Amino acid sequence: MSTTTLIVFLWAVTLATDTCGQLAFKAAAIENREAKGWEHWRHMLRRPWIYLGATAYIVEFVAWLAFLSTVTLSEGVLLGMAAVVTVMVGGRLWFKERFTRPRIIGVSLVLVGVALVGLGGMGA
Amino acid sequence: MSTRTFFIIGLLALLVFDTFAQVCFKLTAIHAAPLAFDWAWFIRAFTTPWVYCSILGYLCAFATYMTMLRRIPVGPAFAAAHLEVVGVLVVSVPLFGEVLSWVQYLGAVLIMAGVFCLAYGESNYTPGGTTKERH
Repeated sequence: MSTTTLIVFLWAVTLATDTCGQLAFKAAAIENREAKGWEHWRHMLRRPWIYLGATAYIVEFVAWLAFLSTVTLSEGVLLGMAAVVTVMVGGRLWFKERFTRPRIIGVSLVLVGVALVGLGGMGA
Repeated sequence: MSTRTFFIIGLLALLVFDTFAQVCFKLTAIHAAPLAFDWAWFIRAFTTPWVYCSILGYLCAFATYMTMLRRIPVGPAFAAAHLEVVGVLVVSVPLFGEVLSWVQYLGAVLIMAGVFCLAYGESNYTPGGTTKERH
């Protein structure tokens, strides 16, 4: 496997696991809307979603470490920000969340802001 | 409580817990220094109370985030959770003497502007948690 292929593969794994984790947490949170407080938490702990989310993040942790060994931190942060977009798309596909104008503008500003914070810190 | 108010309160709580956890993580790293992949480093890291404060902070942040997800769409919630970056930047200056570049200040301002847009966008929700969309 060439270096480029490895980088793309690890990037894809981090994006996929980050997105799966977020969507699984969302599924866990909304599955039983009537439950309140501890009852809600007990319900979530009896269902698979929260464990799927936690597993996704454990895999992502390992993949992220491997990914950062192939790219610089600033490159990793920039590429990793794509997860914000994939989670938005995942939310649209799974939960029918809308792409409203404030959401698109807000997410775009956050993306650029985090990228600047990451890049700005490299020279400090 | 309107969804927008719920979103803002949830984000502020998330900001406090996430920032607290990160600060405790940094204090753990300082306490455990120098970094070495051996038992001595591991023991130094896990015998300081800061590491347990960090874990507590993460647990509180997770509980807050899961509560937010009950009413907030996951796309905007995930993006807005990056407000943590601003919190960490702000406290890193007085606590750890870190120096920020103007590019980082600009980034922090853009993140806050983005979160403001996301919070404003949640006005599409009606009070009481009934939403105009399925999520």
